[in-house]
Amino acid sequence: MFLWSCCGSRALGFLSFPHRCACLLGRRQGRAAVSSSSGAHARKRDFIQDLEKEFVKIRQKTKEALPGSGWSPLHQTPGLPPEWADIVIVGGGVIGWSTAYWLKKKEAIREGVRVVVIERDPTYAKASTVLSVGGIRQQFSRPENIHLSMQSAHFLRNIQEHLNVVNEEPVDIQFNPSGYLFLAGKEQSEILEENYRTQRAEGAAVTLLTPQQLQRRFPWINTDGITVASYGLENEGWFDPWLLLNAFRRKAISMGVYSCHGEVVGFQYSTRDMKTDDGRSVALKRIHHVNVRMPNSMEYQPVECALIINEAGAWSGKVAEMIGIGNGPEGTLEGIKLPVEPRKRYVYVFHCPHGPGLECPLIIDQKGVYFRREGLGGNYLGGLSPTEEEEPDISDLEVDYKYFDEAVWPNLAQRVPAFESLKLKSAWAGYYDYNTFDQNAIIGTHPLVTNMYFATGFSGHGLQHSPAVGRAIAELILDGKFKTLDLGAFDFIRFYRGNKVMENNIV
Amino acid sequence: MLKILIPTIMLFPTTWVINKKWLWPMTTTYSLMIALLSLLWFKWNMDIGWDFSNQFMAIDPLSSPLLILTCWLLPLMILASQNHISPEPIIRQRTYITLLISLQAFLIMAFSATEMIMFYIMFEATLIPTLIIITRWGNQTERLNAGTYFLFYTLIGSLPLLIALLLMQNNLGTLSMIIMQHSQLPNLTSWADNLWWLACLLAFLVKMPLYGIHLWLPKAHVEAPIAGSMILAAVLLKLGGYGMMRIIVMLNPLTKEMAYPFLILAIWGIIMTSSICLRQTDLKSLIAYSSVSHMGLVAGAILIQTPWSFAGAITLMIAHGLISSALFCLANTNYERIHSRTMLLARGMQIVLPLMATWWFFASLANLALPPTPNLMGELLIVTSLFNWSNWTMILSGLGMLITASYSLYMFLMTQHGPTPHHILSLNPNHTREHLLLSLHLIPVLLLMFKPELIWGWTL
Repeated sequence: MFLWSCCGSRALGFLSFPHRCACLLGRRQGRAAVSSSSGAHARKRDFIQDLEKEFVKIRQKTKEALPGSGWSPLHQTPGLPPEWADIVIVGGGVIGWSTAYWLKKKEAIREGVRVVVIERDPTYAKASTVLSVGGIRQQFSRPENIHLSMQSAHFLRNIQEHLNVVNEEPVDIQFNPSGYLFLAGKEQSEILEENYRTQRAEGAAVTLLTPQQLQRRFPWINTDGITVASYGLENEGWFDPWLLLNAFRRKAISMGVYSCHGEVVGFQYSTRDMKTDDGRSVALKRIHHVNVRMPNSMEYQPVECALIINEAGAWSGKVAEMIGIGNGPEGTLEGIKLPVEPRKRYVYVFHCPHGPGLECPLIIDQKGVYFRREGLGGNYLGGLSPTEEEEPDISDLEVDYKYFDEAVWPNLAQRVPAFESLKLKSAWAGYYDYNTFDQNAIIGTHPLVTNMYFATGFSGHGLQHSPAVGRAIAELILDGKFKTLDLGAFDFIRFYRGNKVMENNIV
Repeated sequence: MLKILIPTIMLFPTTWVINKKWLWPMTTTYSLMIALLSLLWFKWNMDIGWDFSNQFMAIDPLSSPLLILTCWLLPLMILASQNHISPEPIIRQRTYITLLISLQAFLIMAFSATEMIMFYIMFEATLIPTLIIITRWGNQTERLNAGTYFLFYTLIGSLPLLIALLLMQNNLGTLSMIIMQHSQLPNLTSWADNLWWLACLLAFLVKMPLYGIHLWLPKAHVEAPIAGSMILAAVLLKLGGYGMMRIIVMLNPLTKEMAYPFLILAIWGIIMTSSICLRQTDLKSLIAYSSVSHMGLVAGAILIQTPWSFAGAITLMIAHGLISSALFCLANTNYERIHSRTMLLARGMQIVLPLMATWWFFASLANLALPPTPNLMGELLIVTSLFNWSNWTMILSGLGMLITASYSLYMFLMTQHGPTPHHILSLNPNHTREHLLLSLHLIPVLLLMFKPELIWGWTL
């Protein structure tokens, strides 16, 4: 689900920007404006930070005053990644930075591991994280997913404790604990109830509502065709993904994670021929260098590393192809590609003057249409996942407004009569890192590439699982196995064996 | 003497002329033959102090173990470097081997020098090939920093030594060690004489290294390639010890008062650097700090100048040279497979490489001075003589030995025992070359257990 939380709506009131990019810039400037103006967010003047600013000024002045050029015989391109690292994380989205944070948190000794996060676009223009709707829910059907969400919600609740950096602004991800509401018709009510039982068994606070209770609670819903609804009471809602990403990033960098702006273009690896039990020969690969290309240049730096974590989101499949995952005869282990590909999803922002008020959860209709309140000015975000046949072209992030008029609006209006008079304000598109096999995460190692780990393929629910997934990968690497949550069901080998780990959702 | 030195120098044309296919086997074989020939140096004719002499070079029981160690180390260095140098172009491989041979030649001349100036020149000359090895073939950008530290720390210490030697030459008329040991120095009472004492010893204290001026050592050891680490740990540190032992006999009676601050630094350094070892995340860095710790004991022993302490110092120098070099080779086998020196990522190796675990075990046990290894013999002699000099040092050196035991065990347990991470399970198995390398390190230690008289020196 994708969200764009419009800039400054919290403090400066709703600003209407027709284009998402302008909104993006406006948000950045808006936030900067808010933090530098004294206004309502005055921090105590920090002596150390002011002193450091003075030092920077002094250094600048001496550089200008003293003669000499900046030339050095050992010219080094600025921004190169370090020549060696212990763990290289490919992808600087929320999963990447969450893993980096947890690796540093678990290392138990200072500089225990050197972690480098390589991100090719620091503006995050196409990254799934920042284009996400930002919802978090526990209403899954797989217990692992339920626990991932619950533990992530617990993390987000205590985010100050985890991600606070001394002398910096406190972390605030603007969590709206409004819950998710799944609506089910007669055909899906059994699945919903079974999911409800699973969720309750795992400890999630979910409740089932009859249409009458639904009507009483949310009078603006048209309950035609609804047999039962499932409403999340706790740990569900939505938050700002950009703020979470930045919080992880700031904390990880303060703990010593190296950040590199570059693109992974290849790997240098060595191969070793092994024989399986039945005599077939298999080539095991071990990556020993990651080639990171600098932006707008042909120069690349081979980073010597012990482990690589592929958390490149929608492009994880491409990164996996670089090491040759999937180059092999069909039906063999070598021939299994990483089944992650980008899928475009649209999110529409609309305004409705007399729509649902504050008590509006993220509602998902039985047809799959979803919407949620955004801010306090009567704006909403909504969308619908297209069917397999209608999958949009992924080469760019252009929005198809006709889709809203044809597929989304009618269903919205049918479910909430007030939405008949809505006005579409803007829209954006983002990529799911879509797992074409079973639309669930891929977490763990690869059987043939011995030092590559995966944490990708979340197909739309990566952001909400990011704290728990980061911790799981860090445990897998540093402790050798999953400790708090057993995510063994999400391993890579299930693609070979054919065990689909499917979500039994009604959407 | 010349029958070892000339073949060593002839190894230069050998490396440059020999066929590419035979480069590594032949250089290894020839240097091994020279090493075996050098074992003749162990024979000591007790009537004469110095043996195997010519006009400029001679061997006595202090220099012979160090010389044999130097000659022994060259084939081991060539064996260790074979894997990581092989992808390079052939000319660079020849250059690398040339640098190693030149180090051996300089070191032979340094240890067998009878004239202090020749010793000084060779002492300085060894800096150049080592610097080239560290800065050119080291693995990371930090190697430039490491090279700078290494070069300038040693130079700042050794330039005063040149002045001091020239002053001594002026006073005595000669700097030949054979004559100097019988000389009587004039009354040394002025403040300048104290500075002269310091100038004589500072170079060697930096080289040993002494605790306060040891910063170059972890950097140089970690950034150097395996052959650089081996020669640094095994022999170049001992240059400092050897120089100190030669020159300190002439520095009485100043030593009685002047040695105190350095003794304190040395003995305190044992505990401090051992404790730092317990907090290291980088395996090579741990072994480097362990070198500083052991050399602190040696420095303390040399400064108190008793017969037992000298014997302990020499014994510990030889034993530590072999074991430290062995540990660096073991760390290198890890590094060549995992491409990372971090201890957190290379755990539980015993399951995957069991025979290497045996070598790790033996080397760690020798490092923590398990009886009856010569490491223990050296440490015991040193600790006893320090105790004799002052009872209070027992607390510090005893505590130091305790912490040494704990970090050696920590190193062994971290790398060998514990849960094996997933990516370790499919590592390449050990090459025979690696096993040969380690056995050639550890068999001399075993043999020295049976005849430590060979490395005791002339005082016991």
